[in-house]
Amino acid sequence: MSTATRRDPTGRLGAALGHLFDFWPMVTVAALVVTTALLLLPVYNIVGLSFSGAEAGRSLFDNYAMFFSEPYYYRSLINSFIVSISATILALLVGIPAAYFVSRYNLWARSLIKTVVVLTFVSPPFIGSYSWVILLGRSGVLTRFFAEFGIALPSIYGAPGIIFVFTLQYFPFVFLLVSSGLKSIDQSVEDAARNLGSGEFATFVKVIAPLLLPSITTAGLLVFVAAFTDLGTPLILGEKFRVLPLLIYGEFVNDFGGEPVLASTLSVLLLAVTTAALLLQRWLSARFSHATTAIRPLTLQEPRPLKRILAASYVYLLMAIAVLPLANIVISSFLKANGPVLTAELSLDNYRRIAGTVSRPLWNTILFTSTATLACAVAGTLIAYIIVRRPGRISALLDTIVMFSYAVPGIVLGVGLVVTYHYPPFALTGTALILIMAYFIRRLPFSVRASVSALQQLSRDTEEASVNLGAGPAATFARVTVPLLSMAILSGVLLTWSNTIRELSATLILQSGSTATVSIEIFNEVVNGNFGVASALGSILILLTFLPLILLFTLMGKNEEALV
Amino acid sequence: MTTSVTIDSVTKRFGDTTAVDAVSFDIAKGEFFTLLGSSGCGKTTLLRMIAGFMRQTSGHIRFGGKVIDSVPPHQRNTGMVFQNYAIFPHLTVFDNIAYGLRARRRGKAEIEREVRRMLDLVRLGHLAHRRPRELSGGQQQRVVLARAMVIQPDVLLMDEPLSNLDTEMRMHLRSEIRSLQRQVGVTTIYVTHDQEEALLMSDRIAVMSRGRVEQLDVPHRIYAEPRTLFVAGFIGENNLLPGAVLGRAADGSAIIELAGGGRLRAASAAAEDGRACIVSIRPQDIDIGDAARLPAGDEPALGGTVDDIQFLGGAVKLVVDIGVDRPLTVSLPGRRDMAMPTIGSALRLSVPAHAVRIFNPEAGA
Repeated sequence: MSTATRRDPTGRLGAALGHLFDFWPMVTVAALVVTTALLLLPVYNIVGLSFSGAEAGRSLFDNYAMFFSEPYYYRSLINSFIVSISATILALLVGIPAAYFVSRYNLWARSLIKTVVVLTFVSPPFIGSYSWVILLGRSGVLTRFFAEFGIALPSIYGAPGIIFVFTLQYFPFVFLLVSSGLKSIDQSVEDAARNLGSGEFATFVKVIAPLLLPSITTAGLLVFVAAFTDLGTPLILGEKFRVLPLLIYGEFVNDFGGEPVLASTLSVLLLAVTTAALLLQRWLSARFSHATTAIRPLTLQEPRPLKRILAASYVYLLMAIAVLPLANIVISSFLKANGPVLTAELSLDNYRRIAGTVSRPLWNTILFTSTATLACAVAGTLIAYIIVRRPGRISALLDTIVMFSYAVPGIVLGVGLVVTYHYPPFALTGTALILIMAYFIRRLPFSVRASVSALQQLSRDTEEASVNLGAGPAATFARVTVPLLSMAILSGVLLTWSNTIRELSATLILQSGSTATVSIEIFNEVVNGNFGVASALGSILILLTFLPLILLFTLMGKNEEALV
Repeated sequence: MTTSVTIDSVTKRFGDTTAVDAVSFDIAKGEFFTLLGSSGCGKTTLLRMIAGFMRQTSGHIRFGGKVIDSVPPHQRNTGMVFQNYAIFPHLTVFDNIAYGLRARRRGKAEIEREVRRMLDLVRLGHLAHRRPRELSGGQQQRVVLARAMVIQPDVLLMDEPLSNLDTEMRMHLRSEIRSLQRQVGVTTIYVTHDQEEALLMSDRIAVMSRGRVEQLDVPHRIYAEPRTLFVAGFIGENNLLPGAVLGRAADGSAIIELAGGGRLRAASAAAEDGRACIVSIRPQDIDIGDAARLPAGDEPALGGTVDDIQFLGGAVKLVVDIGVDRPLTVSLPGRRDMAMPTIGSALRLSVPAHAVRIFNPEAGA
């Protein structure tokens, strides 16, 4: 007894050091090192650069003072807010009724509608933008068509065009989140409201919408962040209308070779806005969460014919507009192109023209995406295990770091990685590795989140049974945890693949000619006005994006809500 | 080889709450030992510390005299059976049972032989290559039992293994587990909240409440001689009545006056005169007589009127008002030709002195 209670300091220290080389402590340390190197260090460095005015003998806030005194700069921040907030409001106004009609009314072709939403959601945003240029640009197909009848269509360039494209691109966030929110409301809630004398509209406003608030606020803020950080669309449609990401890109390209001080300053501002938006989203969804689960979800109604026709017309019109740019890309890829002007003549000309050049970017895209996806699957599952099964201060820290990666926009991460790894001994700029690093850290929080929710549903007993039977921590993870999570991991892999393959903004910053991806090639062709070739490449990219999702939906029985 | 287990003043705290409070006991080699208590009493926490899934805040656990506090769970060689089976859903019955042997890197032939032997022992030989989802709950639990036993654990740990099964399967598996345990002779620690299960299966029982062992004894003494008010109230049906010790009778037994005025004798030496106490009497230990024939002299007397009669077939329960808010329950064996009292009739109740137990009211229930 007395020997038992006496403490042996060297023994304790030895035991602690011994535990450091156990499997999970080692994985935890590795995860902290990797996330620090790929995320915290780059962010730390751009923040440092943004405050580097003092080194040049000026004020610490010199760069910010310059930003807020020069209209050329601060105007871009205002512009960013204008387009993002407008797009958010419009996406909510368009998306909520669409989700309600499709979820509640027995419309025709509901699964086709959902397919269109998914297609729109996963299609690369910049492809939508230049497709609208083909349709509504100065010499656009629709512009010329309507001009023959003397009708002048509104311009697709500048703020209105950007808002229009953002709304169409991002309303699926709202549609998918609100649809899944509607599924968690019990039919009895609606029945009670109707029974107490509310009409359908009053019931929606007073009962259903408040219960949907967590979904609506989440969707709204996701749209806002996506619109605020998008680079491709304003690059293609902006012309003289400058938003913040555009300025970062411009300054970065100008500064290349020197220290991207201004690009870093702008990046910090962008990061501040997205971080604030995501913190707000967490706070709001915690605040409005009613934590209801539906025993009997809202049922599908058979509305009166007029109502059904009106609702259907609205939804079909929206879906037609949403799918139009994609259909346009695929169709125009088979049309003979004459510079930026597409003729009505069918041909495989565009595909013949890319046949010789596409293999390298295609191979790059597939290689980078696959490597990053596999790394995400492995690291995501390990980190999720630490977060769920080994709670504590270090695991909470890791959780926070990983979730912070949500807030870091691709372009900011790109600038940060260049600032951190441009110089020897790393000199990674322009290599494949730096792109893979960027893709990996961008998608890591999604992989972690998917595995976390799967792990939380997995009883701890099964893993403990394995340990109890003599399998160590690593063996238990490999032989029990991973097989039981395999479906979740696989669906995570498919989603990561489909999301990474269309990445543009970080890639624009990080690529060099030899590491160009299909996205970059499309972008270059668009800039050069080769719309036909861009469309052929775009069709390939859409196919690559959509293939894993077809697997996900058909073979794995997931539904479209797995996307958000 | 199976071993003895020593729990040496083991304490587990979670923040401010103490889940297990300085518990000590020894379990003999080959013993079937049960931790019995309601949820939150610390029995599962104690079991998980023995398995090594959590570390005690203080105290020691020994297997066969050897302290195992810092042995990680996968090296403790305990076989655990979980409440919700914890079967590996991705492995067949055979592979589930072979899991522990493979983790121990046993030879292929040995694994085949041992798993087969176990499958026969739990009578699942015909299901060796089925997947768990094709099995019933009872079959799954037998797989898990075989999986835990095949590794020849030092100690077999069972955490409410029968509570997810239906009544019939539970009854059946109780005796099956007990007879398997006797055959194999493995030291077994069994956690349950079901007292019937505990009384039926165990060599010894530790009744736990609020992190402490209330009483540790063989089943029949736990039932007949509860040492604390908690055990008296927890095990079996019992009348717990407030009263006070009046004095001593000539034979040394204590005279107790109950609230409501009735008096009885208790064969207890411990009680001090004038002390308030709680009296426990099993319903089947009370005899009834005619109220008209009151005992002579200073013989203590307890009387009441019948409030309700519950006929249960094998037994008849009388709810008797003895002048306090909580009525007394009397259980009579349901014999042929028994004289059935009527509601409202007055009764004289007599209780043998050795059937009356006295507890301190502060001890809490």
